[in-house]
Amino acid sequence: MTGININKNSVILAVLVVLLLLLPMAVTKPYYLHVIIICLLWAYLASSWNIIGGFAGQLSLGHGIYTAIGAYITVILFNTFGLSPWLGLFVGGGAAILLSLVIGYPTFGLRGAYYALATVAISEGIVVLLNNTGSIGRFTVGGAEGLIVKMVGNSAVAFQFNSKIPYYYIVLIMVFLIIFVAKWLKESKLGYYLVALREDEDAAAAMGINVRRNKLIAGAISAFFTALGGVFYAMLIRYLEPNAIAGAGMSTQMVFLAIVGGSGTVLGPVIGGILLALISEIIRFYLGGQLMGLHLFIYGMIVLLMIIYQPRGIIELFEKIGQRFSRKHNDEGGRSGAEDPSGA
Amino acid sequence: MKNKGKRFLGLLLTVVMLLTLVVGCGGQKSGTTTKEVKMGTILPLSGSAAPLGKIGQQARDMAIEEINEAGGIKSLDGAKIKMVYADSKGDPAVGVSEAERLITQEEVCLITGCYQSGVAMPSTEVAERYQIPYFVDVPSEDQITERGFKYIFRLAEKTSWRNLAQTEFVTEMSKKYNTPVKTVGLIYENTAWGQGAVRAWEKYLPEAGLKIIMKEPYPTNSSDLTPVVLKAKQLNPDIIMMVSYVSDAALLTKTFAEHQVKPLAFIGTSGGFADPTYYNLAGDASEYFFDISTWEPDVNRPSSKEVNERFKAKYGYGMNAEAVKAYAGMYVIADALERAGSTEPEKIREAFAATDINEGATQMYASQTKFDETGQMINAPLVICQYQKVNGKMERVTVWPEKEARVGSKIVWPYPGVAK
Repeated sequence: MTGININKNSVILAVLVVLLLLLPMAVTKPYYLHVIIICLLWAYLASSWNIIGGFAGQLSLGHGIYTAIGAYITVILFNTFGLSPWLGLFVGGGAAILLSLVIGYPTFGLRGAYYALATVAISEGIVVLLNNTGSIGRFTVGGAEGLIVKMVGNSAVAFQFNSKIPYYYIVLIMVFLIIFVAKWLKESKLGYYLVALREDEDAAAAMGINVRRNKLIAGAISAFFTALGGVFYAMLIRYLEPNAIAGAGMSTQMVFLAIVGGSGTVLGPVIGGILLALISEIIRFYLGGQLMGLHLFIYGMIVLLMIIYQPRGIIELFEKIGQRFSRKHNDEGGRSGAEDPSGA
Repeated sequence: MKNKGKRFLGLLLTVVMLLTLVVGCGGQKSGTTTKEVKMGTILPLSGSAAPLGKIGQQARDMAIEEINEAGGIKSLDGAKIKMVYADSKGDPAVGVSEAERLITQEEVCLITGCYQSGVAMPSTEVAERYQIPYFVDVPSEDQITERGFKYIFRLAEKTSWRNLAQTEFVTEMSKKYNTPVKTVGLIYENTAWGQGAVRAWEKYLPEAGLKIIMKEPYPTNSSDLTPVVLKAKQLNPDIIMMVSYVSDAALLTKTFAEHQVKPLAFIGTSGGFADPTYYNLAGDASEYFFDISTWEPDVNRPSSKEVNERFKAKYGYGMNAEAVKAYAGMYVIADALERAGSTEPEKIREAFAATDINEGATQMYASQTKFDETGQMINAPLVICQYQKVNGKMERVTVWPEKEARVGSKIVWPYPGVAK
């Protein structure tokens, strides 16, 4: 790459960051900011799932348990001891890592559909547990009635803000962080191991890659970041209901967004998360109160079309556009076979 | 790396799309004329609870039509009520999102809703933060009005009140028919609902001098409840109280009949026992079972029959207790607006707090509508009905309290056993 190109990238990056940082000045209505926050949260969660689901190719359909464990532990510590969620999230994240190891050790030996089924079974089990646990000793878990985050008003220490702007910046930082982590991971030795075992587990093992160990590491990283997303959800919504935070809806949505966006890529899940969450909100905004379920139907159709016509994810579409764009400007002939637009 | 540029370009385009949306939507401003009072309703209009959300919407629409046709809100120059419906999908997070939208985008002066307690808990908190009145018509979770909120008003009863009313009913019957009641057996599904009911029973039953000798939880949608029934037969409590969804309610009823269990009374706690399919599943074994609810089609309250008939004519099926709360709720709201004479949320809140309605359309729900300092409707009405054969057809007959009972009805107490 030439120096000119790097400068161009830097400029684009700088403009993007400035735009995102200034966004709350343009978006003054809290509802719109709330929608953007939700979109970014989904982008973040899809990216967290992508580490184990995309890079390592392990189809986890039970990631809701990690959002749940992060959220529940943080909120319970806050409600019981007044421990700031900023510290609680490390406890919640740590617990998620532990849980991922406990679950991963026996299940990572399973392949394909069996692993996916195991994750579904475990997460359903945890939803049942949460629904039936009113309290453990002096810790209120809330059972199926749900757990309320104690309201303390506007307090940065307590991770509670009356304005939406702090939530926006926090989730924005989280998204930047997960992009950074994904990029680092993809270019690290671990990333190559993961791709190798995703493509052919036996071949990877034959080459001397410790398959289970690398899966466990990827699973732990993924669980930790997913748990942080759960903490953010808890502090934004301030109410935890087992089915909403740990249920199949939460788990499958992450998978869905990542796959539609482009799983196994750095930016695919981010784009998938933002775009689909946005489409879902827009459709509900315009059609919500009208014909019953119409907005869900349309949303389903859009997703279906995307999967049929763009199976490798929206990210590929963007790459193609980007390629045309840069070719036009640089008049470059160099293109790799994998990215050949005529191949689609 | 070459890809870097493309990736960032991708992200950039996304942001541009995001901004376009924001600018595009920001352009349209909701024009508020003085002739309209704009309020919002959050209901599950899609998802598994959609049919229940729909009947709530229809009940509201009917009441709004009536209020608007009768001249709207007179203290606001005959302003018409305009309702904006929002779909919660039954999901707490979506409920929060929609509450935000209704308040900041649609600029409603108050919110009503929202069927599920799980959606009510977080979405009422949003309203409280924005200081917008939130009129909770159906959700019954105790905690909703126990959080010290100022802008939340609830028309429904608290869940625990049902258990209190059951206790009162048993005490009264035992005196009236001279059948001493000492022991109670509790059979309940083991999730939030059942757990909550047990907590309330454990408080109210001992207070009334009754002893709980059996507490038997079971998992929802059981395929066989014989062990539970046999245990009840062995311990033989005077009264059996149950919390069940419909399939378990029917299964319990049939299994009790099969094993000839014969306490003084079987008492259900709404839910499955109030489900229209309960009788189809349980058949004649359901005869003489009691159930509790807030409204029944045959309840002896002013205008109840007429409103139900109008509803039937309009939508093709009758009302349920939730629809009645939604319908009566609109009249409580209209009354508050009338007295507030303003669409300012603070004025509306004050008007709600001062509500004291003793006549009019709300009579089909309660003779007096009034809120305590927590925003909880006091004396939310509860009735007991009994499955009885009327002209050879099984019906839910409202039997208690006496003044609201079906005219000419009689309580069958104690339980005479299953008909052979």
